[in-house]
Amino acid sequence: MIAAFEYFAPKTVEEALSLLSKYKEEAKMIAGGQSMLVVMKQRLLTPEYLIDIKGLTALDYIKYDEKQGLRIGALTIHRALEKSPVVQKHFGVLSEMEGNLATIQTRNWGTIGGNLCHSDPAGDPAAVFIALKAKFKLASSGKERIVEADEFSTDYLEADLKPNEMLTEIQVPNPPPHSGTAYEKLMVMKGDMGVIGAAVSITLSGKDSVCQDARIALSNCSSIPLRAKKAEEVLIGKTLNDGLLTEADEVAATEATPPSDVHGSAEYRREMTKVFVKRVAKLALEKAKAA
Amino acid sequence: MDETFGNYRILGKAIPRVDAKAKVTGQAKYAADIEVANLLWGFVKRSPYAHARILNIDTSKAEKLPGVKAVTTGKDFGGFKWGWSGPTRDEEPLAVEKVRYQYEGVAAVAAVDEDTAQEACDLIEVDYEPLPGVFTPFEAMEEGAPLVHEDRPGNMCVEYHWDFGDVEKAFAESYLVREDTFQTPRQAKGYLEPPAVVAYWPDPDHLVYIGAKGSPYFPYRILAKCFNLPLSNVRIITPIIGSDFGGTKNDMTPADYSAVMLAKKTGRPVKFVTSQFDALTTDLRRHPMWITIKTGVTKDGMLKATYVKAVADGGAYTRMSPLTMFLTGTCMTLPYKLPNFKYDALNYFTNNPSSAAMRGHGLYHSRFAADVQLDMIAEELGIDSVEIRFKNSIENPKPGEVYETVNEVHVASCGMQECIEKVAEAVNWKARKGKKKAEGDKAYGMGFAAATYNGGTKLSAHNACAAIVRVCEDGSVNYLTGATDVGQGSDTIMSAIVAEVLGIALEDIDIKRVDSSFTPVDPGSYGSRVTVLAGQAAINAAEDAKKQLIEVAAQQFGVKPGDVEIKDRKVFVKSSPERNMAWERLVRVACYETPGKVIIGRGYSKQGISLLGLADFSKGVGDIGTNYSFTAQASEVEVDVETGVIKCTDNNVIAHDCGFPLNTQAVETQVQGGSYHQGISAAVYEEFKMDSGQTLNPNLIDYKRPRAYEAPMAQVIHVLTSDPYGPFGAKEASEGSTCSAPPSIVSAIHDATGVWIKDIPAQPEKVFWALKKKREKEQK
Amino acid sequence: MKGEMKELKLTVNGKPYELKVKPETLLVDLLRQELKLTGAKVGCLDSACGACTVNIDGKAVRSCSVLALQANGREVITIEGVADGDKLHPIQQAMIDHGAIECGFCTPGMVMSARALLAENPDPTREEVKESIQGNLCADAGYVKYIEAIEIAAKEMRGGQ
Repeated sequence: MIAAFEYFAPKTVEEALSLLSKYKEEAKMIAGGQSMLVVMKQRLLTPEYLIDIKGLTALDYIKYDEKQGLRIGALTIHRALEKSPVVQKHFGVLSEMEGNLATIQTRNWGTIGGNLCHSDPAGDPAAVFIALKAKFKLASSGKERIVEADEFSTDYLEADLKPNEMLTEIQVPNPPPHSGTAYEKLMVMKGDMGVIGAAVSITLSGKDSVCQDARIALSNCSSIPLRAKKAEEVLIGKTLNDGLLTEADEVAATEATPPSDVHGSAEYRREMTKVFVKRVAKLALEKAKAA
Repeated sequence: MDETFGNYRILGKAIPRVDAKAKVTGQAKYAADIEVANLLWGFVKRSPYAHARILNIDTSKAEKLPGVKAVTTGKDFGGFKWGWSGPTRDEEPLAVEKVRYQYEGVAAVAAVDEDTAQEACDLIEVDYEPLPGVFTPFEAMEEGAPLVHEDRPGNMCVEYHWDFGDVEKAFAESYLVREDTFQTPRQAKGYLEPPAVVAYWPDPDHLVYIGAKGSPYFPYRILAKCFNLPLSNVRIITPIIGSDFGGTKNDMTPADYSAVMLAKKTGRPVKFVTSQFDALTTDLRRHPMWITIKTGVTKDGMLKATYVKAVADGGAYTRMSPLTMFLTGTCMTLPYKLPNFKYDALNYFTNNPSSAAMRGHGLYHSRFAADVQLDMIAEELGIDSVEIRFKNSIENPKPGEVYETVNEVHVASCGMQECIEKVAEAVNWKARKGKKKAEGDKAYGMGFAAATYNGGTKLSAHNACAAIVRVCEDGSVNYLTGATDVGQGSDTIMSAIVAEVLGIALEDIDIKRVDSSFTPVDPGSYGSRVTVLAGQAAINAAEDAKKQLIEVAAQQFGVKPGDVEIKDRKVFVKSSPERNMAWERLVRVACYETPGKVIIGRGYSKQGISLLGLADFSKGVGDIGTNYSFTAQASEVEVDVETGVIKCTDNNVIAHDCGFPLNTQAVETQVQGGSYHQGISAAVYEEFKMDSGQTLNPNLIDYKRPRAYEAPMAQVIHVLTSDPYGPFGAKEASEGSTCSAPPSIVSAIHDATGVWIKDIPAQPEKVFWALKKKREKEQK
Repeated sequence: MKGEMKELKLTVNGKPYELKVKPETLLVDLLRQELKLTGAKVGCLDSACGACTVNIDGKAVRSCSVLALQANGREVITIEGVADGDKLHPIQQAMIDHGAIECGFCTPGMVMSARALLAENPDPTREEVKESIQGNLCADAGYVKYIEAIEIAAKEMRGGQ
């Protein structure tokens, strides 16, 4: 079934990075493998070298700090994010998103880092991290760089990740006061990959509902998790009302270039973009007002 | 739900299944779990084209690959063709001249492991000449369309034209006549266990085949013929089977034939484990059908006439399409009284994987169309959905009486009206009328439907159904039957029937899984026949054994056999029960009393009602079933009016008349399952998407099977009618709910939104556009 | 080197194993073919059906989507390790008594998912029970009696409350 490969199970991040430096494009890193093993079984992916980092416990952590915000180790499993009291309290949207990500079995083994590096535009975490203005730390032997969440995915299943680099940490800044972030996706069954999904973050300047900042990120609407920047601009600096949210959702639909597949045509997905941007923006606004 | 019916010791209650423990501890062995010494692994090479001529097959490179032990192609089978019945033998074990659907098997390899076998298949070079194909019945029927089978002009596979009464006259006299076209999806059987087989030849004249077959006597006969063996030398063994639903595990696959051929060539056992991908691309599917139905009614909604035209996509080979098209028409005259009925059935060959039987076989299509249309009629006339069904229903015949339809279908028991009443009461139907519920972007609605299903299917040449009760000298009992439990619980029921008749405990019975060297013949698990027909055989075999034992007891007690009874594991004199003997002692006495006495009871099922004949397919006349179940269902849905997503609520009630629920628990689980997995799923979730013969969604993510979170906690109500032709009054259980669920969902969607979805499944996008169209129409 | 066997040390159903495996071996194949524990089933190729579900360090995981080597140093429980000798686990007994089991192909996976749920959440809501088996496809039973059986088992494990 799976094509043979040479296997390494590095015990430290440094070891993992030096393996990457050595084998570069011929090597693939596997964490939880929940996406990877499916394609390896179909022989669509046949790396010569497989670097198994599932055992790198050093990257399995959730740290919270009132100033720095959330730091998530790349090897944190989805279920841990879902259940973490700290995440539930301060970044509830992440926990909610995880609760609908595939099923419990997948969440018990798959990692947040693996999910992000797979770079599937239909993935839920990327859209939410974009809305939260997260940053990703990428490491290579002796070096580190930070990439903005909305710049990480570059194309369908491709990311700004050099062959000798690995994702080590996701950094989520503390949400500003009077802000709220929500995420919903179109599912037929709980845990489905979203037909489309929308993550919206709204920051109000105070109790008076002027939108100071907005982020709208769409999943499965393009070859990457798409930031609907024009739609964001519809909202920023304005007092939000129903009509404005409608305008934003229509603009977002024009920015989307969704696929057509067995789950929905591009046209349907554009219609659903409107529905979800509006629904999620409303949820985000409610959260922002309550914050 | 722990109800008890009847006055039996074992039957009529919740009977835990005899194989449940083995399954829940992981001990149960399915075909893929079977291991035999010296095993080789097989893999099938399949055509990438949906329609192509095979010009040449070069297996030389594959044969040279280290670890490969043998290769086979279609030519090895010497022109053998097989099919469901004599005139329909149009299929080869492996394609020889032509492939007719994508991934049809053309060769197979046996090697030391699966990876090597797969690699070897990749090395087999096949020269194809791709041919234009036809992919829907409409393409197939076109003038000049490419022919799937050269000897079948017009790609016509099955054609029936039935005519009962005078529909045209009845339409002319009707107050209202409606014509609507409905469409049912291309649906997977959906079993979780992909087929697997292990085959070996203990010697050149004897074959052993271990495979997941719900009708093991099909491969028994077919393999005997194919490999020129007497039946006595063909040993078909069934392990535990991971469900079937009437499909491929009834029937032969390229892996089956290849395993036997390669085992013959290598002299070693060969195992093929197919994958879910193979199952979802090549295994048999439910026919997609286009049902045009025209119905005339009186002013107060009484049915006068129905004309049905059923156009079906039969796929590449005939398989059992003649039966499918018969079943689609035969029960149009049930469960409502219908005096005039006309039926045109047109089933075409296409270059798609073959279509065949599936739970709810045939009736599911036409009952869906008829019952949704009945609601449309009810709406037009301003009559309530429940009322129109109740008044049209066939009434329960009095004992000794039989209701006969215009197409000579005979019904001795019919609980339709009681089912309708009980469901309406359970959901408080009267109170919900007119109450439109909408909350924000969600709308709620409830739909009502009624259905029937035939049980105890009898088909010529496949009727023989026998059983043997073998009483061991310590009082334990072997039960030998050809009836095959595919998960529906027949092993438990057969054991329970035998124990009940003998007057002993369920634990005393050990039922042997089918092994054709030892178990008597039985047609297998299809047509909802096992409980009704194999159950009858069980009763007869048990009574025969009991008679022999009672004779011994009578002699011991010095009384007439008529004075003796066996109950609660004791044999006693009826008139003075203090004269008794324990079961074990009776058996010992019987076995050792005269040297060589062996207590073996034989039984077979006899036909039910004597005035019943076997059905005539071309005329549409007669009974295919022994008796008929009746089901009423109310389903509530939540519609997201902005996205089109449909969800079932827990407000879902099903009343099922199975005559007498022999195992109440099993009936409930079966009814819940039939409703959700095969019924609601077809109405809302499932459909194979095709593109010129290629399946676009051959995996369980893109082909949606229903899951736990969305499952309605459906309530099942038992309705008893005690059919005179069923064992202990029993009829089939749960193919009825497969047929009642889809129309109840479509009606519920209409109730919630005003939209009729006539081509299921009602997937979100379809519902979205339908809602949008309705809104735009209203705005004009 | 490609194809070089690697060492694997793990516990399966309480028994320690020291094995050498090909790196591309999936945990489900190790269990079924090496260790002859055929209770975990292969029902799909897409991490969709859950018939292969086992417990790794107490968590429900699909064994078809784990490389055997990734189970190194871990504790794996399969369906064969759930009963305590002859004494069935309450989940198993409830599924039998309540009539949940039909063809049985999904049953081992259902038990493993339920076992993991009740170990961490002894008093789950109905929604939580449903969610725990959302990753376990059944084709037969309609899920209703599985859900009810898990609730019955949970109640019994809580001492009847």
